[in-house]
Amino acid sequence: MILQVLRRTVQASVLLVMVSIAFMSLYAHYRSARVIDDDQLMAGMRGEVVTKLIYPYIDALDNPTAFLDGNKGTLWSMKLFGVDLTDPLAAAEMLATSKHIHWPLLISIVIPVVVTLILGRVFCSWICPGYVLFEIASKLRKLLRFAEIQPANVSFSHRNKYIFLFVGLVVAAVCSAPLFALIYPPAVISRIVHAWVFGTALSGMLVLVSVLVAIEVFISPRWWCRTICPGGALYGLLGWLRPIRVKLSKSKCTGCMDCLPVCEAGINPITQSSSIECDNCGVCIRYCGDKALYFTIGLPGQESSSQKIATRATSKAAMFVMLIVPLLGPSTVEGHHILGLPHYSYKENYPQRPTLEYPATTGPYDVLLTSYPGIPVPGEAANIAIYIKNRETRKVYSEPITIRVLQTSTFGDNIIILPSTTRTPFDNEYKIHVTLPIDSEYIVEVSMPVEGRVEVIPFLIVAGQPTALASMVIVGSFSVIIVFVVIRAIHKKRQRKRRMVAGVDHGHEAYEAGSVMNLGEKVL
Amino acid sequence: MEKVDRRQFVKQSTAIGVTLGSGAYVSGLLGSASTAQASPLRPPGALSEEDFLSTCIRCMRCVDACPNRALISTPSHAGGAQACTPMMQPRKAACMLCLSEEGDYLKCTEVCPSGALRLIKKTKADIKERVSIGVAEIDFDLCYSYNNWSCGACFRACPLAGEAMTVGMWERPTIHPEACVGCGCCERSCIRYPHAIRVKAVAS
Repeated sequence: MILQVLRRTVQASVLLVMVSIAFMSLYAHYRSARVIDDDQLMAGMRGEVVTKLIYPYIDALDNPTAFLDGNKGTLWSMKLFGVDLTDPLAAAEMLATSKHIHWPLLISIVIPVVVTLILGRVFCSWICPGYVLFEIASKLRKLLRFAEIQPANVSFSHRNKYIFLFVGLVVAAVCSAPLFALIYPPAVISRIVHAWVFGTALSGMLVLVSVLVAIEVFISPRWWCRTICPGGALYGLLGWLRPIRVKLSKSKCTGCMDCLPVCEAGINPITQSSSIECDNCGVCIRYCGDKALYFTIGLPGQESSSQKIATRATSKAAMFVMLIVPLLGPSTVEGHHILGLPHYSYKENYPQRPTLEYPATTGPYDVLLTSYPGIPVPGEAANIAIYIKNRETRKVYSEPITIRVLQTSTFGDNIIILPSTTRTPFDNEYKIHVTLPIDSEYIVEVSMPVEGRVEVIPFLIVAGQPTALASMVIVGSFSVIIVFVVIRAIHKKRQRKRRMVAGVDHGHEAYEAGSVMNLGEKVL
Repeated sequence: MEKVDRRQFVKQSTAIGVTLGSGAYVSGLLGSASTAQASPLRPPGALSEEDFLSTCIRCMRCVDACPNRALISTPSHAGGAQACTPMMQPRKAACMLCLSEEGDYLKCTEVCPSGALRLIKKTKADIKERVSIGVAEIDFDLCYSYNNWSCGACFRACPLAGEAMTVGMWERPTIHPEACVGCGCCERSCIRYPHAIRVKAVAS
């Protein structure tokens, strides 16, 4: 029980570290560049977090700059309290892609590798945020089963992940570009967290994670961790001969099989507790009613000697080691604090706000539309400049062109904001000043004669922050589905209760049968 | 050796086939993307584009470390090989070469774990010799100083003014490519839009 509380605490603190490192980086930028003041990003919740939660604690330290410098990165490769930590998979893949040994990288994987050699695949069960996500997904599966909706239960061989690790490294070596870095859930999730804090878009990564969760919920439980994850495979191989492992006391085990359905790795703790698949999460120990499963120190195949030391004390010692090893990372933050001049800010010297460019080509011409400000503020005049240059002769186009501005509309026709007007260039560019009324997408249509015919070039520009219809539809439908599942679950529960009261136990039997079926399928 | 039944065999071979197929597909994607896309501006000290793409592990440490938030992570729709690598958009934020920061090294090169960014000392000689983000180019049709006005904003922003950029009459700028490191301060400071001076990545 205490072990599971510890595990959840470690998982939660890893999530916290991921989020706070990103926020601390935002704050570090603020300290050195003073970019918060005029930043749209800082206007809302992020500014609140940085000024209320990050600033008071960091600035109370002796050396805030050194502390901020000592905490960087994502779970893929991270600097934590000044210590370099890198995922061994990252190092393996980097070796494959670059065919070049970089010693600092190899040194930074020492701590994870040593921890894995001693404790086994604990990265998966104790640290990985993807594991947390997929645990939540399996809870959703449970909810589905409780509502008597049977999700598909396809299982694959656990050996696939070693094949995938090998194939992925070969692919990476052949095309000299990393593959795992873009699909490995801990890296992807911490990148999504980072992107969310920094206000940048990583929609492709979000789609990947949603697809994985959907597969876990509806098709194959714990599909990724058990059968695909290359990182899990690597950690499994590293932790094959782990001295700290789950053991079964055969004299105590009554064969109740309670540990079978709860196993996160999808193995049978009774027969396979020393297997390469076990990730030392300790859930089976918690659910073992006979106290037959316990952590022990020893190599596989040492049944008799480990039986001897298999006392509660050993189990506790193992737990202690599992807790203490991650905390042993020494904090070697060094440096000295110099109160220097503030970073000179462009905001003071050159009052520019960023512009946004939309390049296009037509015939021999490069057409460049620039909007100022970059993302026009709805209700305020936006300046739009169009610069047309002949790519071949390097001469600026100076004939009159026609410009029209439309507001896009999801249903019905586009609304005309600026009717067709003919413009002549001023200072080599065509300028329009137009007020975009609301947060939406707009089309600036530029018509110009090219090689005897009139070309119309539409530029799609965005004003404000329009809500995307697609994301609203997706979020809406997901919440509707979840509400329906919950309603169905409550309904079924009541039904079962009524039948129990009436003395007919069919509903309950059906539910039990469902879970038994699932249990059977987990054993490969 | 236990006997494998047909159902199991079909399932396993499908799984392996899908894995291999997707691997091949992604590799094709990566291969095409790495050759087709123009190279974006990389952080100081970056290896040549090809080596950089194969060495960078996409950990975003340099993005975290950049004090001016000049480095951003390339969006995932930019193409498989370039996704999540660090890049610069000088018009949004330029590389300040960490000149007013503490420490002896450029911060992004200091935190890079994989060696994709070589460690660069914060001395003028080392910066001039080893930083080559790109080279600034002037569009003489747009530059105010070459079109009946006088401006000089880029010259005032240049950290290597007098070496990488000199100005003549009406503060007309001239770039000296051999000294220009491509930090992008001139592009950031240009008061014209579209900007008359922009950093182009050096073809490697």
